[in-house]
Amino acid sequence: MLLATVVGQVWATQKCDTLTGLRLVVVRPFVRAEDGSEVASAETMVAVDPLGAGTGERVLVVFGRAARHVIGRGHDIGFQTAIAGIIDGMELEGRTFGPDGDLDPAQAHPSL
Amino acid sequence: MFLGRVIGELWSTRKVSDLEGKRLLVIEACDDRSDPAAAKVTPVVAADPIGAGVGEHVLVAFGKSARVALGGDGDYAYEAAVVGIVDDANVPEAPASWGLAELGSGGGV
Repeated sequence: MLLATVVGQVWATQKCDTLTGLRLVVVRPFVRAEDGSEVASAETMVAVDPLGAGTGERVLVVFGRAARHVIGRGHDIGFQTAIAGIIDGMELEGRTFGPDGDLDPAQAHPSL
Repeated sequence: MFLGRVIGELWSTRKVSDLEGKRLLVIEACDDRSDPAAAKVTPVVAADPIGAGVGEHVLVAFGKSARVALGGDGDYAYEAAVVGIVDDANVPEAPASWGLAELGSGGGV
């Protein structure tokens, strides 16, 4: 399970029958630099999105059998990456992140 | 399965129903990020059934092992879970970035 940001959407007309009607989004995993700051990963991946995540939203990406379960079309389908959740916020080593970037420190978690 | 350190926690409202009610932790593998061989260390998200805190060293399992640890089986939307909180470790060649000195016996060094 990885953290990622939705960076776009892809469409394909010619595809496996098992993928008909699925929304496909392009996501970029969350990577941290040596100093703990967030950096853009050079790698992107395509995930099925059953939740309707918008571009720029942070999401939780699952792979393999868990992803096929999330997609809900059984385990004999031609895909292995899916979005299982849209992240509202997270707190990493004292820094609080909202859906679209750092939150205002005033809104930070009460334990800070 | 790997040794990692909990760096934070995340929360989500819009999610698949399987993810309801489980804590999701953000965990980074105990690898030296300045080591060129570990140029890219991507934090993973794992469900936590045992209550690990931020900063603690944990064991993370993947795949079916994770789903079983969380009380499910094949049809479950998880693929990573915290299966243990590390009390102590003895890895003489571990770099300082592993933070083993913070553990029980001072990292067994």
